[in-house]
Formats: sequence, C-alpha cells, structure tokens
Amino acid sequence: MKRNGFGRLVVLLAGVMALFSSQALLAAGTELNVIAAYNAKQDIFDAFSKATGIKVNQLDMSSGEVLARMRAEKGRPLADVWFGGGVDAFIAAKKDGLLEPYVSPQAANIDAKYKDAEGYWTGISLVTVDFVVNTQILKERGIPIPETWEALTAPAFKGEISMSDPSISGTAYFTLYSLLAARGKEKGWEFFAKLAENIPFYAKRGSEPPQRAAMGESLVGLAPGLWPELQAQGYPIQYVFPKDGIPWWPAPVAIFKDAEHMEAAKALVDWALSKEGQEVLKTKDPRFPTRADVAPPEALAGVDTTTFIPMDFLTAGAERAEVLKTWQERFAK
Amino acid sequence: MAGTVRQIDAENTPGGAVRRAAPFFLSPEGLFFGLLMASVVVFVLWPIAAIFLQSVVIEGRLSLAEYIHLFTNEAGLLWNSVSVSALTTVLSMGLATGVALYLTHTRLPGKRLIFGVLMLSIIAPPFVSSLVYIMLFGRRGLITHQLLGLNIDPYGWQGVALMQTAGFTAMAALLILGVLHRVDRRLEHAAHDLGASSPRVLLGVTLPLAAPGLLVAAVVVFIRALSDFGTPIIIGGRFTALATQAYLNVVGLFNMPRAAAMSIILLLPALAAFLLYRRTLGRTNVLGAAPVLERAQDRIGLSPGTQWLLALTTWGFIGFELVKYATILCGAFTRTWGVDFTPTLGHLQALTADRMGSFFRSLHYSFTAGAVGAILGGVIAYVLVRKRPPGGKALDFIADLPYIIPGPFFGIAYILAFHNPPLALTGTAFIVVANCVYRQLPISIKAGMATLAQCRPETEAGARDLGARERHVLVDIVAPLMKPALLIAFINTFTSTMITIGAIIFLVSPDTKVLTVDMFAEIKRGRIGEAAVLANVIIVSVLAVNLLFSWLYLRRRKT
Repeated sequence: MKRNGFGRLVVLLAGVMALFSSQALLAAGTELNVIAAYNAKQDIFDAFSKATGIKVNQLDMSSGEVLARMRAEKGRPLADVWFGGGVDAFIAAKKDGLLEPYVSPQAANIDAKYKDAEGYWTGISLVTVDFVVNTQILKERGIPIPETWEALTAPAFKGEISMSDPSISGTAYFTLYSLLAARGKEKGWEFFAKLAENIPFYAKRGSEPPQRAAMGESLVGLAPGLWPELQAQGYPIQYVFPKDGIPWWPAPVAIFKDAEHMEAAKALVDWALSKEGQEVLKTKDPRFPTRADVAPPEALAGVDTTTFIPMDFLTAGAERAEVLKTWQERFAK
Repeated sequence: MAGTVRQIDAENTPGGAVRRAAPFFLSPEGLFFGLLMASVVVFVLWPIAAIFLQSVVIEGRLSLAEYIHLFTNEAGLLWNSVSVSALTTVLSMGLATGVALYLTHTRLPGKRLIFGVLMLSIIAPPFVSSLVYIMLFGRRGLITHQLLGLNIDPYGWQGVALMQTAGFTAMAALLILGVLHRVDRRLEHAAHDLGASSPRVLLGVTLPLAAPGLLVAAVVVFIRALSDFGTPIIIGGRFTALATQAYLNVVGLFNMPRAAAMSIILLLPALAAFLLYRRTLGRTNVLGAAPVLERAQDRIGLSPGTQWLLALTTWGFIGFELVKYATILCGAFTRTWGVDFTPTLGHLQALTADRMGSFFRSLHYSFTAGAVGAILGGVIAYVLVRKRPPGGKALDFIADLPYIIPGPFFGIAYILAFHNPPLALTGTAFIVVANCVYRQLPISIKAGMATLAQCRPETEAGARDLGARERHVLVDIVAPLMKPALLIAFINTFTSTMITIGAIIFLVSPDTKVLTVDMFAEIKRGRIGEAAVLANVIIVSVLAVNLLFSWLYLRRRKT
C-alpha cells in the first residue's frame, strides 16, 4: 500500500513532464526572439507574424535590464531583436559593441536625426513626453489643466507631481536634459529647482508617474507613452503636450550582435520601418511615426510639432554623468 | 547502534576509523552522490564568488573603492535596511506568535480556516501585495479614501514595514507552530498548578521552551526583509533600502561593481543573524513536525484576557489577509479599480496564447525544479546525516547561502558565473530551473535532515548486513522513510518557482519566459485588471498542486 502512493506520485510527475516536453517539441518552427519595451507589443507582433509567417517570442524588459544583462554576459545576445526603449541605452549598447549594424532598405525613408549614422539602430517611432493629468481631482479642487512646464511650478501642485528618478530612468533623464537644453543650463537648473518643490519623491520605475496620476496618487505624472493604455481602461486622465517645449526621442529597433535568427531579425526591422509596419505601430500605440509618408495617428493630430525641443542625443549621452551628479547633489535627498 | 556496522567495516579495513568515508565515495553510488554535492559548489559558491569578484575588481584592478564609497557616502542605506527589517521582524514575530498560540493553546474556533489562510499567504506572488496596498490604502485607496474619506500619504518606511510584516507573518507562524507542538505540556501544567497565571505560563514557560523555533523564525524573517527589494520600489516613496538601491544600480545606472558591493555588504547583517542561529541553536528541528490541530485534552486553561488578546491578534491578521485575497480576486473582475467598479470578464483577455505558453512553461519548470530539488535535497541530506563526509558541515553551510542573498543577485550571480564555456548556460531553460532549485535547496536539505534524524539508522544497517547494495538501501528503505521530507521539498520548490520573479528576471529570455514575468510586465504597464487575472491564475494553480500532493500523501498515510 505504501509503495503505491509513492509510485503514483512518481508516475504523475513523469506524466506531467512528458506532456510538457511533447508540447515544446510541437512548437518548433521559424521563430524570432524579441526583447520589447513597447505598448501593445503582442498586437504588433501578431500583425508581423501574419505578414511574414515568422513566430515571435517576446519578452518585456526595460532598457536598463537589457544593458545590464548584455554587459554581464559579455555580449552574448539575449535575443535576436531589441524593439523599442530608450535611445540612450541603444547608443550605449553600440559603444559596447553589443549591436549588429544593419541598414535596412527601408531606412532611406527615415530622417537622419531618427537613426544611427552607421545603421546600428533605427528609430521606429518618436517617444514624446506629455503630462498625464487626473482630471477628476483637478476638477474637485478647481485647478485648471496645466498646459505648460511653467504651470507645473504653481503652489497648487505642491506634492502632486510625479517624476521618475533620472539616474534610474532613461526617460526621466531625457526629460530633465530637455528642460536644461530648452532653457540653457543655468536657467534650466533654476527652473528645475522650482519644479522640484512640487515633486514629493522620485519614483523608482519609469512607468510609475502616469500610473500614479491615473490612480489619483498624484495630480500630474511626467512620462511618455502610457496614457493610451490608461485612458482605454477608463481612468479619468487627460494627456497634455506642454506648449513651451515637448521633450522627445526616437524609440529604436536594433539587431543584437551574433543574433541566432539573423534573416528573420532583418525581416522584422524591415517590416517595422516599412510604411505598412508603421501604420500598424501607430494604430496599436499612438506615437509619431519616423517615416514622413505616414501621417501621425489621430490622437496626436492636434499636437504642434514645432514645439519639439531640439535635442542632440550624443551630447545628452556624453553629459549624462555630469548632469546626474549635479542633480544628485541638489535634489536626490 | 549505528556504530555496529561501522565496526564491521573497520575490521575489514585496518585504520578504518579514519578512512571511513572513503570506500563509500569510491563506490559508483558514492561517486554519483559526490557529484551531486559538488554541484552545490558549482551552482552556489561559484556564482557568489563571481559577485564578490565583480565588487573588488574594477576595470581590471583590485580595488576597495566601492566599499569605501558605501561606508563614507551611503551608510544611511545600510541603517535604513537594518532598522526597517528589525521592525518588520519584531512586528511579524508578535503577530506570528499570537497566531501560533491561538492554534496550539486555545479551544477557540476557526482553526481550519486560519491554517488554510496561512498556507494561502505563503503562495502570494511578490509585487501583488504592494499593489493591493495601493489599491486599498493609497491616497485614493478603496479603504482609506473611498470608505473613510481620508487623504493620507501611505508612502514611506511605515508602509514598507507594514507590507513586509503582512508578507512574512504567515511563514513565521508556520515555523513557530511546528515548535509549539513539541513543547512539553507537563511543564506548563506544573507552572499552572504552582499558581502561575496563564500569561505567565505562556511567557515564562511555553515561549522560552519554544525559543529555538522563535529564533529560527526571527532569523528567516529578518533575512527575507533585508533582501526584499520590491516592496520599497513600489511603496517606499522617499524611503529606500540597500537591496532596492543595489537592484536599481544594475537596471538604471548600469553600475555592476557598486551593485555587487551593495549586495555583499547586505550579506553581512544577514550572515551575522544566520551564524548566530547556526552556532547556538542550528540543530533545532523546525521542519520535522507536521502540525496537528485538534489533539490536546491536556491544554492548560487560558484566562479570558489572554484568549481575547490571541483572538484579536489572530483574526486581525487573518482578516487582513482575506481582504488582500478578496482584493486580488475582485481586481481581476472589476472594470477599472478605483474608478469604475462594474464587474467584467474583460480582463480575461489577458490570457492570450502567448500567456498560456508562459503559464505551461511556469508549470513545467516548477514541476522539474520541485522534483529535482526534492531528490537533490534528499540525497544530500542522506549523505550528510548518515555518511558524515569530511567537509559536510561546510557544504551544508554553502547550500544555505542562497537563502540570504537578495533574489536579483542570485540571478545576476548566475549570469556572471555561467556566461563562459564550459559552463555557458545563460539563455537556457536549464539555468532558470537550476537557479530555482539551488535557491530553495536549504529548505529541501533541512527537511531531509529533520526527517532522517527521526528515523533509526538500524534499518538501513540491517539491509546492508543482509547484502543490499547502497542503491537498494536508498531506493527501498531511505526514500520511503523520507517521503514527508521529499514532499515538503517538492511543494516548497514548486511553489517558490511558480511565484518567483526577482532571481529569474535576469535569467529568462523570450523563449523561456514564465508567467510571473508577464504579470510583472502588466503591472509595469499599469494594467491592474490583467495583472490581477494572472496573479489569480498563479495562486489557483499553486493551490491546486499543493492540495493534490498533500491529498496524495495524506491518503496514503491513512491507509
């Protein structure tokens, strides 16, 4: 009797394992492994699979995690393609020799300022920083919707602005750097000091500020990109593109050096840069496309693109350590 | 009596007392066992050494710069970590002791429910509790704002200590429960008969007798709290701890040497607590006893005041946990938490084909890790207890180390250790499973050792005398005896693999992704409903497997 129970346990275990192993075997085919930091990525890759027949395994990973892992693994590729994320991480990855240069035939249609000159990465869309504001609480308190960076320094927003730690989040760093770039270093720091009065603490995740605004944990969240998801869920939020300067940067796509499925990887890059691909991208996640021949999505139709803050990403990257040192000395505690 | 066999061996080999272990390790089985034990060095010691090297070799040169930086500029972080962990430990221990005493020393009702909630509490995926905390107690939380109309700021060390306490109390209560069951009731009666009041009996007799178990529970909670990086990230606000900062140094600042130094520093208080426990009371058998809920006619009668206090503590905690799980459940079927509480099945769309793939992978990895962990732990325990090989204690100590390392660092340590040939394993399913197995190995080994300590070695010796080979002794005699331990090890490793995120977030790749990783991504995207659906899938499946295996085991026991 005793033997029986134990034997059954072993048989059960073996059975379950055999079941899983057979499943793994059946799934084999043309596959592509993608590290992605993009909203609605599953929809996007489904569209790609439909167009090409290539199955995509995707993993969500922030740019920092990608870099940390690639460096720890001394460049052994985590996947075939790196899709979306902070351009700073891509620039750093190029410098470390972690990327494979690939100039897609489609890249000719993309403005030089949205891509790497040597083809190590190419912008698929533009990330723009907006304010995510909680309209319900604003209304409750009778505060008008802030439309400029200056408006955020008003006393009404004391303790109510959420921003990520720029030393942790590439997004927050670019936001900070843009504020400095638009105003000049000295005036920029003065302005940031006023803004910092209203920031109770710096969030430790890039995506946290808009979530906090949506859940009413703060009035305004400074971070790009999350509002379509949040708005679709019915949160009482509105996104505002600041009239006195919109920080922006390209979200790139790149192929990892020594990628296992090189041809399929190139196919995904070509598709993401093609007219068809960018139409899919902008419908699934409303951002500005990098192709001039693809119109901005409807949600962004009214945005004044002349207020984009001129940015030199290489300088922003080069000055990162220095800027963050100043930031840490003045604002980190 | 175990000595009789050895004496026979010793007669056959002159000077056998010294070389006792050698013949065993030269036999085919012994060689195999040796190999398994050596794997502990490869999969535990080597990765930790790799992290240490990373912290002292900076740009190719030996340097203590990172440590100097830590002690001169960031000593506050260490203080933050230690003080909040200590607070969490005190709070958890208070609650857990109350719950355990309620179960063992009162005749109050609801014990099955309480025990069930305790089991449920140890299978909550990380991050979920912090999310619930914001859903309930945030500035616009359901309880604080919408029910009570408060507008408090819940972010800070208080929130961290509270959520860590809630998270670790169940585990501590289960550990304490095991010891309280073995407290000699006659001593309590003696004290009672001599006129001691019931609080005095509990404080003066029961708890001191249970002290070893209490210490074990306290050390486990303290170490867990120290290495918890997720809670401060989500609800710490301005407060930050060393484990959190170390994690952020990797993913944000790309500063691996500093992160490595921080995690090594973090090991010091953990190691101190751990050594204290090993030195003084390490032999205590906490895992050995299966909790028995309804037994004693021999209980002392507690005074009404004491009973009230225990009931209040216990039901306060149980109520909180039930609210937590109810929130996760409701979150999955509520349109938009905090805004629109209309019931919906819409979030079930989170269960896409990709997600189901991750789910089956999770189950697959967890079954494998559970089975391998149980067998590995059992074999190592057997060899350590029965063969007492030279270096056994050191090996046991090394195997314990993963328990005191923050999850993300055990993950990063694996990347650093296993990206080079001949052990180039990164990106494979093997490394994900290995990480989970070795991280839970301390529990697997302890469970095995505890069970073996209760079994008489004469049976094995007898079989050997009758000519059984080592392999047969192990399979036909030791394995059946160790079934409870194997079961504990399997369920523990299975469960922790199903809910782990910290360690494996650095080890998974797109084709070895598991469901917790998907859940974490949903939380990052702010999709609470979808995240709650995935959390429920994880909780329900872990619960089902736990119940199934317990049932198989218990049924066998009854027959």
